[in-house]
Amino acid sequence: MKGVLQEMSENGKISVLQLMVLVFLYTIGTTVLVIPSGLAATANQDAWLGAIVGVLIGTVVLGLYIALWIVYPGQTFVGICRAALGKWAGSAIAVIFMGYGFIGASTVLFYVGNFFQTQFIPRTPIWCTVTLFALVVVMGTRLGLETISRAAELMLPWFLLFFAILVITLVPAAKYVNVRPMLEFGWKPLFEAGLSFAGTAYMPIVFLFAVFPHVKTPEKAKIGVYVTALIGGLCVVLVTLLCILVLGPNITARSMFPSYALVKKINIGNFLQRVEAVMAGMWFITTYVKTTFYFYGGVTSLSEILNLNNYRNVTLPCTMIVIVLSLIVYPDVVYMQYWDSIVFPPYILLMGVFIPLLLWIIGLFKTKPGQNAAASGKNQS
Amino acid sequence: MWAIAGVIVISGLCAAIEMPSLKGQKKEQWVFWLLLVLGAGLGIAFALKVPIPNPLDLIAFLFKPIGYWLHNALQPSQ
Repeated sequence: MKGVLQEMSENGKISVLQLMVLVFLYTIGTTVLVIPSGLAATANQDAWLGAIVGVLIGTVVLGLYIALWIVYPGQTFVGICRAALGKWAGSAIAVIFMGYGFIGASTVLFYVGNFFQTQFIPRTPIWCTVTLFALVVVMGTRLGLETISRAAELMLPWFLLFFAILVITLVPAAKYVNVRPMLEFGWKPLFEAGLSFAGTAYMPIVFLFAVFPHVKTPEKAKIGVYVTALIGGLCVVLVTLLCILVLGPNITARSMFPSYALVKKINIGNFLQRVEAVMAGMWFITTYVKTTFYFYGGVTSLSEILNLNNYRNVTLPCTMIVIVLSLIVYPDVVYMQYWDSIVFPPYILLMGVFIPLLLWIIGLFKTKPGQNAAASGKNQS
Repeated sequence: MWAIAGVIVISGLCAAIEMPSLKGQKKEQWVFWLLLVLGAGLGIAFALKVPIPNPLDLIAFLFKPIGYWLHNALQPSQ
């Protein structure tokens, strides 16, 4: 019954390729804009090695999500929680996840507003930019998964174009002295940097469990998700490496948006300069996908927890709540850096690793192989 | 004052957009109105500069000790 309702409220299914595009853009998301700064503050000139450690942690985390997906085929995260822990305990965990979906959407909205206010339009109040961005997000969410996926497919070539321009134009400006000496501070900072990288890029993929049941061929999709998420992570590694090579570790650590400071350095023959506003389009695309899926995860979880017929009914009021939250979650940038570097890693470890791991272990004991096949067969028909 | 009027107008718009699709669904209507009142209340509170409790503070309170422990454990040994 529940499955039927969910099917009705969702217009259509998405293909493996569309899911891969979503995962790719979602992984890059806000990570590329904000994470190089934190990595450089933790690991100095080894920031890019820290990012690679993050990708390695990511391979394990993604493996866990794929395993969870295999044990509970065709279930959203709320469904997984309920199947593993029973109705009440499962719903309680699901409520915490839903809350994080909304908080995640608000924090990303704050990043957008902060980026606009400090870099583009300083005299426009932050609530204006945040509201405009949230309007586009809620529009996408209301139009449904298929529409967002197709929009993402259309946006992908633009992203790739901008990314290629960024890499090609900046490689000549790289100064290799900036990455030396390697491993000056030992291995430990690399793990802290890697943890915060994986926490921003890979662990939020747990929210895409709201999307996974709507994929047409789940078997191929699993490999696709794994590979594209890793490629997305490697793109961020590349940007971090360029930040260190071009700007140096100190400037990278000091700037709020190092990759934006990086594209300001693009200079071809003293003629093609200051293209950063165009290049920023790249981050609007990825940030849009990230915000939309935090929000989508939040509202679909809410509607599944309360057994509503259609998640669209709650999107507009939730947008109002998220907009106000985005204006209060980070009272200032100092609080933001404290929260992101001290509180966020253990928090996302609990949400993105320990709870899914627990659910997976319970699932291994609970479901028998025969049951599994039956459930997945039902989902595909 | 204008901000409050704005929040109320926007809430009215949200309700006008959603009302047709909520017809005859009791539970959905309840959830919708509760969330809308919450959203509008938060909006008005923000406009009046009433301090709103920050959910991140709660998370920070719970995870701060382990966060600092993790941070210190991964410092380079000098």
